[in-house]
Formats: sequence, C-alpha cells, structure tokens
Amino acid sequence: MAGFTDDELMRKVQEGFIVESEADMTETYKKALITQLTVQGDTELMSAPAYYMATKDAPSTNTMVSATAIIQDEMGHANIAYRLLEDLGVDRDELLYERPPEKFKNPYGFDQPLVNWAELVTANGLYDRAGITLLGDVLRHTSYGPLKRGLVKVGMEENFHLRHGEVWMKRLCEAGGEARDMVQAAVDWMFPMGVEWFGMPDEKKHHNAQLDFKLKGMTNDQLRQTWLKAVVPLCDELSIEVPAHVDPATEEVELEFEFPVQYDPDTKRWLFDEPITWDQVWARWRARGPMNEQFVDWMRVSRYSVEELLEA
Amino acid sequence: MSDGDRLWEVFARRKRADHFEHIGCVEAPNSDLGRVYAWQTYDEAKWFEMIVVPRDAFHPVNRPEQPFTLHPSAEALT
Repeated sequence: MAGFTDDELMRKVQEGFIVESEADMTETYKKALITQLTVQGDTELMSAPAYYMATKDAPSTNTMVSATAIIQDEMGHANIAYRLLEDLGVDRDELLYERPPEKFKNPYGFDQPLVNWAELVTANGLYDRAGITLLGDVLRHTSYGPLKRGLVKVGMEENFHLRHGEVWMKRLCEAGGEARDMVQAAVDWMFPMGVEWFGMPDEKKHHNAQLDFKLKGMTNDQLRQTWLKAVVPLCDELSIEVPAHVDPATEEVELEFEFPVQYDPDTKRWLFDEPITWDQVWARWRARGPMNEQFVDWMRVSRYSVEELLEA
Repeated sequence: MSDGDRLWEVFARRKRADHFEHIGCVEAPNSDLGRVYAWQTYDEAKWFEMIVVPRDAFHPVNRPEQPFTLHPSAEALT
C-alpha cells in the first residue's frame, strides 16, 4: 500500500497521477476500484446469457454470426475486468463459480429475459449505448493505468455492438407493421430500464469515492443525460415513442414520467402511476429480476464437465 | 485461475514497422492454449503480429517490485 493518505492520493490523481499497482493505492482506493471492476465484469459477463437467449431468434445464419460475435466480445470484456481484479488479489474462480447468483453486480436490466430479435437489437442500441457512455467516461478519466489500457479494445468493440443495434432497429422500423411494433414494445420497457441504469440522482448521493479518486469523471446525472441525448434523438428519428423529449431551450432531455417508478417484471411493464423511492428501487434490484439464477447457471453449467473427462 | 494456469501477457502490432504494444493478458495451462485465447480474445484489430509471453518470464530491470510484473499479488498468483 501507498505511503500516503486518502486525501493525498485524491489530490495526486486530480493532478494527473496514474496509479499502476497496489503499491500506489490506499485501502479506500483499492476498495472503490474493486467494486467498480466487479460491476464492470459482472455487467459484461451477464450480458452474454441475456444476448444468447435472444440469439436463438436470429433471422439468418449471418445475423446469428453477428450476434454470437457480440456475445464473444462481451465475454472478452468480462475477462479483462476479472483479470485486473486478480492482480488486486481477488479470486476469480470464487467470483464466478462460488458467489450466490444474487450477489452478481450486473444491472437489473440484465436480469430480464430477451425473447426476440427486436429485443436483442434494442438491447444493443440502448444498453450497449449505456455501456459506451459509462466505460467511455472511465477510459477518458480513470486514474488506474491498467484499466485505461484495457478499455481501448472494449471501446472499439462496444461501438460495433451499438452500430449493430441501431442499424437493426432502423431496419425493423422501416419495415413497418409488426416489425416496428416489436421495436416499440422493446423500447417501452427498456428505455426506463436504461434511465435507471445510471443509478441514484446526484442530489441523493453526497459522497463518491469513485469521483474523488478519479475512477470516473462524470456524475450519475451527467452520464444519464449523455445517454438520453443519444437515445432520445435516435428514437425520434425512428418515430419510436419514448416518455422523454429534448427541451429546445436548454437542449437537455427531460423525462416525462416521475422517476423512479415501479416495474412489473412479469408483464415487462413500468407502472408509471406508481412512483417509488430509491430505497424501493434498491429493494427491487436486490430481489433480482426473473432470469438472474438461470443466467448465472448457464454460465456455470459445463464448468467441470470437461475436467471430469480429462481426468477420467 | 485454475491450478496449473499461467498468466500470458499479450503483445501485438498492427503493421510491420510498428512497435509491439502490450494489449492484455490471458491465462492458460500452456502456450498453445495461451495463443488461442489471446488470438480469440484480442481480435479488435487485424494484427500484423501477436505474441504471448509468460508473465513469470519477465525480468524487471530497474523496478524490481513494481509496477507491471512482479508486484505482490501477482507473485502470489503465479
């Protein structure tokens, strides 16, 4: 551990100091970094089974290849985050294979089933956009050198996922009819999910080690606004309705529902007439979505099967 | 990391005249699998050349403890 205090390290990183190993860290820094990397790794990893579920609905061999290429990328990104965690002394096998499913730190959105091609490409368009927004900020601002270098690859590939999503959303919308309705139905439940992805509003969050230690650069609300400013114009262009609009005076996106609100995972519907507190959001997240256990199980199911064959 | 796995640092360059760049790390029980994992994982560019080097083959010259290779937690892993 470093020979300086939290306050000294905060000042150093704000002045541009790059942390390269544990020897440069304080305990508080290390703890915040481990949390950040765990969220990052778990999010990438659990996107894979979610996308895999819908890949079965790919309309052709070529589209199935693109969709599975995206899954492979996501696994690779998870690998990068978990590898960095191992260098911080975290046991990856324990993280992946021994943690109870409800302890995975992926967003609530990746606890939900994706059941058709329109949902998959909308997830690429909306959730991968959230990934780029969050990780692009980390890439630009992080004070942790190994992560900054690791994210170069991630950024390039997430852009491909996003393009895949947006191009396909457009294609389905232009086809009209049922294809367009399916995109609208997907956006109806995934858009508020994306708004929630960025977490608590700044006014409710007073202290933030990730910002103090420059593990990220933008606040939750700034990141959410960045995402909204990309997603809302996209939906407008596709004539897909979202409960938000760009305010021409400020050029900021304003939500047209009281946020946060309750969600019914069984019907995939947001209960817009049922505003809730952030404590209730946390309770819903902690209760996990319907696919949490299944998705973790898919990732684990064949873990020891080959080893058993090799040892037989 | 499973028993018997080693860490393989991955280096690559895009074009003939480029310097090698450290692009990441994989773990594998042997160099054949290390090469496969590296090629499959770091496929973001059409690399002119890629190599893997076991981390425990690194011999630091001027910074024996850190930052890249032999800091304490890495030591414990390999």
